[in-house]
Amino acid sequence: MNVTTIDHRALAAVAQGHGTESFASREPVFQVKDLAVAYSGNVAIHDVSLDVYKSSITAFIGPSGCGKSTLIRCFNRMNDLVPGATIAGDVLYHGKDLYARDVDPVEVRRRIGMVFQKPNPFPKSVYDNVAFGPRVLGLKDDLEARVEGALQRAALWDEVKDRLKGSALSLSGGQQQRLCIARALAVEPDVILMDEPASALDPISTTRIEDLMHELKRDYTIVIVTHNMQQAARVADMTAFFSVEVADDGRRTGVLVEYDVTAKIFTTPADKRTEDYVTGRFG
Amino acid sequence: MSRALKGGVFKALLLLSLAVGFVMLGALLVDVFRDGLPYVDWMLLSNPPSSSPLDAGARPAILATLYIAGLLLLLAVPVGVGTAIYLEEYASKTRWYNRLLEVNIQNLAAVPSIVYGILGLAFLVRGAGLGRVLLAGALILTLLVLPTVIIAAREAIRAVPDSIRQGGYALGATQWQVVSRQVLPAAIPGIATGSILALSRAIGETAPLIMIGAVTYIAFDPTLLGPFTALPIQIYSWVGLPAEEFKFLAAAAIVVLLGILLVMNALAIWLRNHYRRSW
Amino acid sequence: MRISFQEALDQLEADLQREGELVLRSVRAACEALCAQDAELADEVIAFDDDIDELYLAVERNVEFLLARQTPVASDLRLVLAILHSNLHLERIGDSCTTIAKLTKLTHGLPPDPALLSGFREMGERAEEMIRVALASLRDRDRQRAESLLASDELIDIANRRVVTHLLKLGGDESQREWGLRMIIVSRCLERIGDHAVDIGEQAAYLVTGEFREFTDASH
Repeated sequence: MNVTTIDHRALAAVAQGHGTESFASREPVFQVKDLAVAYSGNVAIHDVSLDVYKSSITAFIGPSGCGKSTLIRCFNRMNDLVPGATIAGDVLYHGKDLYARDVDPVEVRRRIGMVFQKPNPFPKSVYDNVAFGPRVLGLKDDLEARVEGALQRAALWDEVKDRLKGSALSLSGGQQQRLCIARALAVEPDVILMDEPASALDPISTTRIEDLMHELKRDYTIVIVTHNMQQAARVADMTAFFSVEVADDGRRTGVLVEYDVTAKIFTTPADKRTEDYVTGRFG
Repeated sequence: MSRALKGGVFKALLLLSLAVGFVMLGALLVDVFRDGLPYVDWMLLSNPPSSSPLDAGARPAILATLYIAGLLLLLAVPVGVGTAIYLEEYASKTRWYNRLLEVNIQNLAAVPSIVYGILGLAFLVRGAGLGRVLLAGALILTLLVLPTVIIAAREAIRAVPDSIRQGGYALGATQWQVVSRQVLPAAIPGIATGSILALSRAIGETAPLIMIGAVTYIAFDPTLLGPFTALPIQIYSWVGLPAEEFKFLAAAAIVVLLGILLVMNALAIWLRNHYRRSW
Repeated sequence: MRISFQEALDQLEADLQREGELVLRSVRAACEALCAQDAELADEVIAFDDDIDELYLAVERNVEFLLARQTPVASDLRLVLAILHSNLHLERIGDSCTTIAKLTKLTHGLPPDPALLSGFREMGERAEEMIRVALASLRDRDRQRAESLLASDELIDIANRRVVTHLLKLGGDESQREWGLRMIIVSRCLERIGDHAVDIGEQAAYLVTGEFREFTDASH
């Protein structure tokens, strides 16, 4: 009787169910090296180096004031819009310097989309909201199919297909946020950045958004900022924990403490500060 | 004094101040309408003025007032809105010249209208050689009204939440696209309301027009580059005439002017209500 | 809703059931090796335990990750805890099989008693059946089926006690007595396997009722 045949691949799959070995070989989409951001001379965050991998969800967690929103806004050059914002260090996108002189921020934002904390649909119809991006970028061909595709991928099509011309502001909070996601998807980005996407929503809408993220990560790379660490534990493959350093003169600066596979951050974090934060014993 | 009593006294004082305003305005209106309404007829609207009150009309004045309103719309609104867009969306608020510009605009809104009249006389009528023409009157009223339009437009543009702009930028829109496709359409109700209110104030201005040489008697229809008069001036002129009937005609002209103002303000209110949105 | 959580949960249950399959194979092989006095098969059983241990550790780790990341509550939490405990019991069963195999090797060449061996065969089959029922009751959330394990366990316990009585009557020379002594441990191992199967059944009942209750107290 043969007892030694065992499905070693199946065993490996079991071990990898939480992604512990699967990231080393993935292509990095963003490579951040020694990044520091200052607003009018005040350093908001510094010493950040990490890689964001393709088709994964990366979460930035940490207490308020640790600069995680500042950091995520570097990825699509939204910090350019803040007067007095300066950046030191490198952000590479597919190997190319995002802040090089010849890089057009408008083109950057087309490839790297963003969803904000409070849903911000335009005061127009549902259709016009989703069509706005393609229209301003000159992607006018087959607009209707594009809009429908984006709404489908954002799991909103069934709920709005009969009222595309209705005002976007008449949708519920959760629907509005999914509309904002559809809006970002309509320009076919490579990456989707989400700055606390569910913090203004009720628990059921939050779960729907989390399930949506799980679907979307097959085709897009997702980076999210969240102050809800359980959310990061649930959805993210990689988690970065940021904290606040207080200098002698009272100045507060954000700093990257630990960046690892989510399973590890929430079971055996390497840094005590991470342990204190995730167990809720911070501050 | 008990709290309830204090509250009651306060409320009574408020009602009293309201009453003062209403009663005075009401008395004025009643007086004017009583005198003027019977004289508001087709003749008033279509006849040119004459020395005989029986067939005097205010047609040139009414037409001139309407032309001026139209010109103000064409001149003041685009320039005012353009300035507002520059100041709100493009200007860096820390630069000294932009802050100087802001202070200037606030001050200009408070300048007495007669000063604008003198300005017009010096630079447009004499300096540019335009002469005492309708266009000069319209131009100077444009300057008068411009600060108000700019301020109203800025308020409307500021009322558009920044999250809308951020959303637009995040999708890859350029600054011009965000302004023209998101900010401006959202601000139009506020801009329209503010502009119409500014315009309706300008139509009632008399001093600047007199300064730049509007005539008090003109019997033919006004043209852009010809002599002109306006309703307020016509009214002023009729009131000064000895014959009793002219006073009634003046009252009638006031009624017409009030009518025009009422229509403009009603339009402003309708626009505000129709396009009002809650953010 | 909570797609990735449900997937992880389903995967965990599937892994446990697969571990159960491996353990059943181990039990069958250990009894086969014992009854046929097959030292080579016994070696295979011992080597095979490494595979069971690997799966055991993987399930342990995945339970840890699931608890940390998904914070399950209510029936989800009971399921995860039931899996955690059942995982341990399955690993223990595997260890018992290894012990049986080692003893089979140790007693190779010593004269066996055919009656005892046939008794062991029966105990082994009953233990195998109990494991099957336990795993099925866990999978199907079937409390009654779980509770039926008690009766089967009684029979194994009785058979275990009879082994000692039988051996005392056997007597014989030194090698026969050595064989007998070793077989007492084998019998104990088979009885322990039955106990572990009952424990898994208790986890199945806990999963359904939310109350952990031993089917019978141990003073029997």
